[in-house]
Amino acid sequence: MTDITIPFYQYILEGGNGLTPKDDALYSLREDALVRFRSLGLPDLKSEAWRNTNIQRILKEQPFTLRQQAAPVSAAQVAPAFIQGLSCYKAVLVNGHLQPELSQLPDVKGFTITKLSEASKNEAFKSHFDKHPHLADQPFAALNTALFADGLFIELKANTVLDKPLHIVHVYTVSQHAFLQPRHLWVAHTSASATIIESALGLHENAVAFVNSVSEIFLEDNAEIWHYNLQDMSPDSRHIYQTAASQQTYSRYHHYNFTLPHATLVRNNLSVALNGSYTETDLHGLYLATGNQHVDNHTFVDHLQPHCNSNELYKGVLLDNANGVFTGRIHVHQDAQKTNAFQQNNNLLLSEKADINSQPQLEIYADDVKCSHGFTVGQFSEESLFYLRARGIGEEAAKTLLVNAFAFDITDKVHIPALQHHLTEQIRRYVSGVSINN
Amino acid sequence: MRNSNEIIDDIANKEYEFGFTTDIEMDIAPAGLNEDTIRFISAKKEEPEWLLEWRLKGYQAFKKMQMPGWQHFKLPEIDFQGVSYYAAPKKKKQLSSLDEVDPELLATFEKLGIPLNEQKALSGVAVDAVFDSVSVATTFKEKLGEMGVIFCSFGEAVKHHPDLVKKYLGSVVPHSDNIFAALNAAVFSDGSFVYIPKGVRCPMELSTYFRINAQNTGQFERTLIIADDESYVSYLEGCTAPMRDENQLHAAVVELVALDHAEIKYSTVQNWYPGDKEGKGGIYNFVTKRGICKGKSSKISWTQVETGSSITWKYPSVILQGDDAQGEFYSVAVTRNRQIADTGTKMHHIGRNTKSRIISKGISAGEGDNTYRGLVQVGPRAHNARNFTQCDSLLIGNRCGAHTFPYIESRNKSATVEHEATTSKIGEDQIFYLNQRGIDTEKAVALIVNGYAKEVLNQLPMEFAVEAQKLLSITLEGSVG
Repeated sequence: MTDITIPFYQYILEGGNGLTPKDDALYSLREDALVRFRSLGLPDLKSEAWRNTNIQRILKEQPFTLRQQAAPVSAAQVAPAFIQGLSCYKAVLVNGHLQPELSQLPDVKGFTITKLSEASKNEAFKSHFDKHPHLADQPFAALNTALFADGLFIELKANTVLDKPLHIVHVYTVSQHAFLQPRHLWVAHTSASATIIESALGLHENAVAFVNSVSEIFLEDNAEIWHYNLQDMSPDSRHIYQTAASQQTYSRYHHYNFTLPHATLVRNNLSVALNGSYTETDLHGLYLATGNQHVDNHTFVDHLQPHCNSNELYKGVLLDNANGVFTGRIHVHQDAQKTNAFQQNNNLLLSEKADINSQPQLEIYADDVKCSHGFTVGQFSEESLFYLRARGIGEEAAKTLLVNAFAFDITDKVHIPALQHHLTEQIRRYVSGVSINN
Repeated sequence: MRNSNEIIDDIANKEYEFGFTTDIEMDIAPAGLNEDTIRFISAKKEEPEWLLEWRLKGYQAFKKMQMPGWQHFKLPEIDFQGVSYYAAPKKKKQLSSLDEVDPELLATFEKLGIPLNEQKALSGVAVDAVFDSVSVATTFKEKLGEMGVIFCSFGEAVKHHPDLVKKYLGSVVPHSDNIFAALNAAVFSDGSFVYIPKGVRCPMELSTYFRINAQNTGQFERTLIIADDESYVSYLEGCTAPMRDENQLHAAVVELVALDHAEIKYSTVQNWYPGDKEGKGGIYNFVTKRGICKGKSSKISWTQVETGSSITWKYPSVILQGDDAQGEFYSVAVTRNRQIADTGTKMHHIGRNTKSRIISKGISAGEGDNTYRGLVQVGPRAHNARNFTQCDSLLIGNRCGAHTFPYIESRNKSATVEHEATTSKIGEDQIFYLNQRGIDTEKAVALIVNGYAKEVLNQLPMEFAVEAQKLLSITLEGSVG
């Protein structure tokens, strides 16, 4: 590590006095994480996982404060974040802190939703918190463990089924440049099931919010979670999302990731450990980047057990000066026979200045498996464009239509009609707002 | 019919066919690497001052560099000081015909089955045989000479065509490219040099046979091929090495330059000693191969069949600089026992309308580890660039590994890049289908593997294709997944 002039990093290196209060129940865990962060160091362009994302440059742009008090937020301010026509439970978090008065929390037997800071006595918390193996070598996850203030704890007891989707709105409001560390833990016990939608809302102006969040998701036997993550923040937001899921036998995890304009940086570290057999994992991603956005998706599917299926489809549309990065890794261990693992990454590059870096990776140590990955980057086909134009559709409209059709492969898989409609509309709005020069 | 366990045992126990040593008096430099070693090599080869300086520059670069850490295998400790950097059969006198070549040396080549002597001339291969770094004899020289084709050892080229060498040496793989290239620049012993003049279509396949013979020597040859405007050349390279307990380092450099409308086809069948079944011994094949399509509509095609070496680590690549240039890479890599292959290619699209095609077939058996690693890079000027990549892996046995790590970077919206990779084993249904038709399991597997690799083998020149097919069947004889 050379040339570190990032104030908060320096501060942490020098000991970060008082960063972790001694009376905290997780004191030793936090201290260990701090040590881990120091030894992992801040990634630079030579770190394989960050070679396409210059995180040091982004961190150096502003001096960030590590502690930020949230200003009060009114219901009217939060209202635009909700999805029209969607019947759901609502949980509103401001800078990572749950606001029950702004939320409509479910009152379902067997379902627990609390502040993470109030969950430390919970058995599920004790047995799962910070236990996901994939977080160990991620420096920003270690930083989060050391410094997180609060987050959401969700537990579904055995056989609990959440009747309506839960929409979690993460509101960020900062008055000066701040580095925020929300932390979440979801545990779904045997045969429990839920649909959870996450979205973010930035209320800050003239200040940059750098959000470094970690979510751990544990699915026990036969549990099922639909997890939607909508990322449409303002340009003064930078996000690093670490989402680590762990699946037991017969569990199903469906992840949908929509990265839309305008956050300057979005980095997703999505990893799934398949710790049981006969699991199903779907990872769907759509990134539509405009302006100077940098969207970096790192996914990792770890096949540890036999008879597991994983399906991954990420599609990207890159406009203006946007940079896209996709790194998808599938690791099939020696015991994971009869694995089916598929991965596909398709990109539309629609501007002279946009670019894409993709690294689909297969690492396979078992022989009786079916694995494949595919990657494409290109343009609309001239034929499709011609076909539409021949039917009297203007060039602009035809291109918008084709981008929507490209995104359709992902939006079509959304299983909630209101959400699907909301996403399709958003995509239409963003695409028609920018000119596509073919 | 034998059962699959027996067959797998057989493969594991199969001995290396080409593992004989030749006793010839060798002129060996003492082990160790320092400026004196480099001066010693340079003096031995009676090189001009500029080349010595270039070597020393390479050595300086080497000293500053560190071993890479990104590869997908544990890089063994390499003691650069424990290696002798020069081994040559003791020079007797200038050789003018094959009769004067040491008969034992000829016998070695005979055993290898390469058509070195005049009687085999009809097979149409001109061979520049490199035996521990010094070219022994070059056939067909006169005939090629008539057409203006220069095909000689690197040492000779330095003596007789210094301008060409000076102009192109290090122009594709600079002396500071990577640690092994830098080492090669410092200590390269010999190699081949080819120059095809304007408008000449080289009438025969040019071929070099590399063989590492002496103990504790690394082989550091350097090949430079220049195809001038509108010329064509097909070049073959084959490699074997005797069995030794120690690992031997092979760090060669190959540079190809294709000017306007020129085409270079470079084929390799690599069968260095892979080590025994415990992974002891064997060659570390760390080679830097790169070609540049400098001119308009030029073309470079790499074809490789990699069955040997304990570690194969190389990425033959093409810089597509000229407009409408084409790059191709066809590869079959087989690993068994504890062999490791981390290989692939890089295609740098710089010019307009450049095209590249990558077909890579990996076969892993036993405890072998096979990695495809490749880069396709499209620069902002490379309008309408086109790439297609396909990498398939075949797994035989449940203790092997197959990995794919492609890197794709596109900076041009008019470019189209496609990549696909699959991993599978030989299907029981495929075997069953063939069994039903009276083909035993062993032959069925050979058939399936050869069919699997056919797309690549078809790219090889005739003689090589036969050899490669044989090699594949021998290596994987009847392995049932």
